[in-house]
Order: sequence, then C-alpha cells, then structure tokens
Amino acid sequence: MITNSVVRIFLLALVTSATFVSCKKTEEDVIDPDTKNSVTVEFENRVGDQKLILGTTPYKNASGESFSLTALNYFVSNISLKNENGTVQKFPNQYFLVKQTDAKSKLITLKDVPSGNYTEMSFMIGVDSLKSVSPVTERTGVLDPTSYGDDGMYWSWNSGYIFLKIEGTSVAVPKTVNANQNFAIHVGGYGGGWNGSAKTVNNLRTITVPLTTKATVRANIAPEVHLFVDALKIFDGPNKLSLATTNSVHSPAVATPVAENYKTMFQVDHVHNNKQ
Amino acid sequence: MKLKITVLVTSVALLVMAFFSSAHQKALLFDVPPHFPAPVYPFEKNPLTEAGIELGRTLFYDALLSKDNTISCGSCHQQAAGFTQSGQALSRGINDLTTRRNAMPLVNLAWSSHFGWDGGVHDLDLFPMVPIQNEAEMNESLPNILEKLRKKRQYPVLFTKAFGSPDITDERFLKALSQFMLTMVSANSRYDRAVRHQGATFTPSERAGWILVERKCSGCHPEPLFTDFSFRNNGLASTVNDDPGQYGITLNNEDRYKFKVPTLRNVAVTAPYMHDGRFTTLEEVVAHYTGVEHGETLDHLLKRDRETGILGISLTPTEQADIVAFLRTLTDDSFLQDCRFAENKGL
Repeated sequence: MITNSVVRIFLLALVTSATFVSCKKTEEDVIDPDTKNSVTVEFENRVGDQKLILGTTPYKNASGESFSLTALNYFVSNISLKNENGTVQKFPNQYFLVKQTDAKSKLITLKDVPSGNYTEMSFMIGVDSLKSVSPVTERTGVLDPTSYGDDGMYWSWNSGYIFLKIEGTSVAVPKTVNANQNFAIHVGGYGGGWNGSAKTVNNLRTITVPLTTKATVRANIAPEVHLFVDALKIFDGPNKLSLATTNSVHSPAVATPVAENYKTMFQVDHVHNNKQ
Repeated sequence: MKLKITVLVTSVALLVMAFFSSAHQKALLFDVPPHFPAPVYPFEKNPLTEAGIELGRTLFYDALLSKDNTISCGSCHQQAAGFTQSGQALSRGINDLTTRRNAMPLVNLAWSSHFGWDGGVHDLDLFPMVPIQNEAEMNESLPNILEKLRKKRQYPVLFTKAFGSPDITDERFLKALSQFMLTMVSANSRYDRAVRHQGATFTPSERAGWILVERKCSGCHPEPLFTDFSFRNNGLASTVNDDPGQYGITLNNEDRYKFKVPTLRNVAVTAPYMHDGRFTTLEEVVAHYTGVEHGETLDHLLKRDRETGILGISLTPTEQADIVAFLRTLTDDSFLQDCRFAENKGL
C-alpha cells in the first residue's frame, strides 16, 4: 500500500515535471528563419456547398439555371506569403496549373519556406505578362503552350495563355448558339502591347486571403493551407452572369466580368500545422 | 627537312582556309542585306545552324504536320508564289476546307515583330501553332505531331544533327521551323540591284512608278522592306464576310477593319490580293486606292490625298500603270527559285 502511494506520488511528480518541461519548451518556440520547410496549398474545387464533380452532376446558379461541368482549369502563379511581422516571402517563377481532372494538380507545394508565422497568402490567377511574352525556351512544364493537346490553355491565334476555363452543359444555353447546349468560358488577356503589338485587356487578377489560423512553418512543421474554391462564384460574383447570354467567352475584352467574379471564389477553409 | 616544312606550311594553309571557309559559310546562313535595317528576331535565343535550317525545311514541307497527313506548310506557302497559295483568294486546308483569309507571304520574317493579318501572334516561334491547330488548316496538335515525328526514321537523325540529341521536343520543333523561315530573305530584285547600283536599271515608266510609290505609298510601304509592319484600314468595301481584322484580337473599336500592311516585295507573284483575296490583279489593287470606302477607322493617310485633298490616293491612269510597272521590279527571281527554300526531294 505504502509502496503503491509512493509510486503514485512519484508518477504525479514525474507527470507534473514533464508538463512543466513541455510548457517551458512551448515558450521557447523561437523562430529560426534559417530553418525551412514546405507549405502545401490545396485547392478544393466546389460548387456552392457541394463538391465539384465533373460529368452530369446538376448544379444551379443564382439565375436559376441548371448546369453541369466538364472542365475547370486555372493557372496559379506569383504566390507570396506574409508573416506576422509583415515580411513577404515570394515564390517567383513558379507556375501551377490546377485541373479538376488531375487530383495531384490541386496540391501545390511551396518549397524552402523560412520558419515563421504566416498570416496572409496572395496569388495570381493566370500567367503574368512577363512570362506571357517570354521566349519558347522559358515555357516549360505547365507553361509549354504546345503541351495541352485537346485541353487547350493557350490561344495560338491571339498569343497568350487561358488563365481560367470552365466548360459544361446547360439547358439555358440556346440551341441556336450551341446545338449540344455546351458552354465554354475561357479567360485570358495579359494586356498585350508587347513590342509595339496591339494592347489587349488585362485580366490578370491577384487574390489575397487571410490565414486566420496562422501557418506556422518550423523545422518540424510543414503547414497545409486548405482552400475552398467555389466555382459558382464565376457566375454569381459581383457580376451576375447568366448562361443564357454568357456561354461562349474566348476573347480578353469580354472576359473581364468573369475575371472580376472568380477573383472572389477563393477562401481559406482551414490550416493544418501538424508536427512531422 | 624541306619536305617537312612544305607539309607543315601546306597543312597550316589548309587549316586557315578551312577556318575561313567555315566562318564564311556561317555568315551566309543569315546575311543582312546592306540596304536593310537590323533584324528584330532575337537570333541569340535561337542561333541558326545548317542542320537546324535543314530540319526546319524538312518539317516545313512535311504533310505529317496535319491531322490526315495531307497538308504541309508548303501547301499554302508556295515558293513560286512568294510563299503564298497561288490563285487562292482564301487559302484551302485540310478536308478541302476554306480558311478565313488569304495566305500571307513568308518573306523577310526576321524584321517582323508580329505575325498574321491581325497581328495576334508576337513571336515567330509561336506562329506555327496557329495553322497547326486551326480546324480548317492542319487541324492537328503538337503532341500528336511529335509522336508522328518520333516514329519516322529520319527525324531522330535530323534532330540529333540540329540539336545534339535525338530528343524530339516542341521547343526544338518550333525553333527549327523558325530557323528555316528566317533564312527566307528576299533582297535581290531588279529594284534592289538598281538601288545598289549593281547594273540593273529602271525603264522610264518604272522609274516614274518608283517616284510615285515614294511619294504616295511610302506612308505604309516604306523602302526597303516595303511595309512599316503597322495595322491599318485601307478602305476596302465592306463585304458579306465582315472580317473585323485586328479588332478580333483587341475588341477595341478603333481597330475594326485594320489589317497588317503586307510587304510589296514579290507582289507581282502573290495574287490574289488583300486579306480576303478580293483583287486578282495589281491594276485592281492600285485602282482601289483611288476610290477607298470612307469607314470610321479608315487610315488617316487615305482620308485625303496630300496633293489634291481628295479621298484616297489621287492617281491618273498613267500613274497607276507606272506604279504597277514599278511593283513588278520587286519580283526577286533568285528568291523565288532558290533551292535552299525548296522542298528537298532527296529525303
């Protein structure tokens, strides 16, 4: 009995000291910017409060039009992270193509992020003007304009990338416009005007989202930022777009209302800061 | 001893000769004609090599670039017609489909910074994708073409010669096509030989036409390239096929009905004329400028003749004939018959 209580006291002391030790350790969470880790950003495409599923799943926009989706692709570039001290960490020359058909493409990994508590993330939808006029040699990976096959993300006849495209079918699309009632909304337009060429509309949009749960990068923490991307906002953003009239967009000038809309479709759902 | 020295001297001489002849050959790959300005194509990003040009030429004439292996670049860009499609108002592509526009001449491309009638493409390297993907031209995709090339025995060899390894990539494919097209320089017409004082002369009518072109046409077609590479509405009558030109790229109303000012070089062999091939003779073309249609975006140079104040360009019938006579001196037979630009049937 005596032995038992001694053991108990001993154990209690051990636990208490362990708690103290661990508390002390937490307080000592000094951020060493020389240590780095990665940050993963997940783009989860949705339609309103539903998951986005390509095919025949029916959705409805604010105009009351029923539609289904066959494609949603967009370029993400010029990502930056701001920490609680206001220091901005940029990730230049990194271009990502998020495709609903490709699960892997929805996970973007930023490498070598210095330790810190990040409170804000910014990124561009599209390919910046500098890269849009770069020589063929510099257009590799997802920027290779010849690589897309039937799932084009490049306007060959009006040199430039398609920043975002959404395609599908809706009974709202007049059969006189498309016999199969398909719609295709392609947004591009980096501004043109390069080397004396004609100026076009600039539909590059930068999105900034707060990280209310900070992304705490440490040597042993590689945060994951999970974004909800609500495709419904493409129709029901600041501009209410009806598929009866907006169903075939293939030129920068007419795409601006769409770009203004999708600028509002990204929000942070949660941030994971799990220890490795 | 004497023999040794002779051998040494001879071999040194041979080496020196070899060096100079190879340097000379390199210079010949792309020569800037003495009366031309500096080219704008960034050669440093795609240095020309003999093997690169040869690969480009082979690709240019290979119908494998189209979906059903029937149409090559050369189908619509024929050398004898100044690299246009002879006699076709609107060029014809795959499945006998008609395209929207007249095939543009391919010449002196190293001096151009945007391409196509509407200028939608700003890089020569990226231009081949337009006809390749167009449903009425080649209706093919680059990844498919590269697959087809990999399966043909000659291409890995040609790619190795041009780029050092047999890898067939789109970058190499596009660069090789550019290399070949860049070599298509036309600067040896009778006009060129006359202005360079190389023995050629003008007839009195041609000389009068030259002076008229300088006075009345050089606002858009300045020498020596005979284009200022701008986009203008030249007052063509509106047609049923209401092609809005550069507006299609910019959707800017000011650009409605503006098209690229084409070069006048080899113009006598590139009929029919204009973006839609509406005129079949040079006489019709020149006569057009005496009676242009006054649209909202009509080029300011055509709103009133500088000398008479009348709409269009004021030209008497004799003056028109003189201009046509001069335009014919811009035909460069050595260019149109240069076997470096012709299909290599030996392959």
